[in-house]
Amino acid sequence: MYQQLFAFGSAFLGSAVESTEALTIVLAVGLTRGWRAPLAGTAAALLALAILVVFFGQLIVTRVPEFALKLLVGTLLLLFGLRWLHKAVLRSAGVIAMHDEESAYRHTVEELRGAVSTHDWIGFVLALKGVFLEGLEVVFIVIAVGGTGVGLPYAVAGGLVAMVVIAVAGVVVRKPLARVPENTLKYAVGVLLTSLGTFWAAEGMGARWPLDFVSIAGLVVAYFVASRLAVGLIRRPALA
Amino acid sequence: MRFLRAAGAEVLGLFVADWIQTSVILLIVAAGWFAVSRLGAPALIVLVLLLAAQLVWFARAEARRRRRAD
Repeated sequence: MYQQLFAFGSAFLGSAVESTEALTIVLAVGLTRGWRAPLAGTAAALLALAILVVFFGQLIVTRVPEFALKLLVGTLLLLFGLRWLHKAVLRSAGVIAMHDEESAYRHTVEELRGAVSTHDWIGFVLALKGVFLEGLEVVFIVIAVGGTGVGLPYAVAGGLVAMVVIAVAGVVVRKPLARVPENTLKYAVGVLLTSLGTFWAAEGMGARWPLDFVSIAGLVVAYFVASRLAVGLIRRPALA
Repeated sequence: MRFLRAAGAEVLGLFVADWIQTSVILLIVAAGWFAVSRLGAPALIVLVLLLAAQLVWFARAEARRRRRAD
């Protein structure tokens, strides 16, 4: 039960972050150039993602042995999670700027204003690219937190619910969702993904974790403590 | 074609930001695999500690680099 809830929650949080970024791009294009092209681009991107998931999902599940899948997905997840966590540490320590959806939105709008005389398919391609690339991250997070076992349907549900919630919120407010605490979410998801990556990779190596799935909680604590230590060391006056 | 190349670069960028850090992580995972097959569960503690340590090390190194560049 806890494993399913964990898969749902992790997929929901990770997908919410990525969906917010995709929505920011679609809103910026739609409000600047009209809705037809970006909505068509969004639909095309979602279709391409669905084809990718169905095709590669079948191929992977039927052809790759479970231990190899765990090791591969775990290692990729570890790289993915550590990259997020690394950036989150630098943001928390004030070394790099916080990601700001308002400013990303304004930047996209400015770019589009300079291109109003060109063809409308610019809006299509921009929305397609944004939704496809952010969607790929959603797909990866869902597959990773769902793993190869019983958690996958719950992770898929978490990812889909997040996408729907963010899309509805976008339709209602028609502005970038700047109030979504994106950096905090990314920090939390970074810790979760790194922990899950370590868990899966080690299982793929043939290790058995003490207390099985509960060990993930210990990994979360370990990586959180390490990240706070990094933030503390970076903030020390001697380094400034 | 340009879109596909850009998409490929973006996908690679999901996993790799710094090639040295990525190599170190992969090295730790490979060493962990070797150690787990011989020592079992105790090797997991060392694996987690090494992964956590590289996070601290590389974050600190990048902070130093960026501050020096400013």
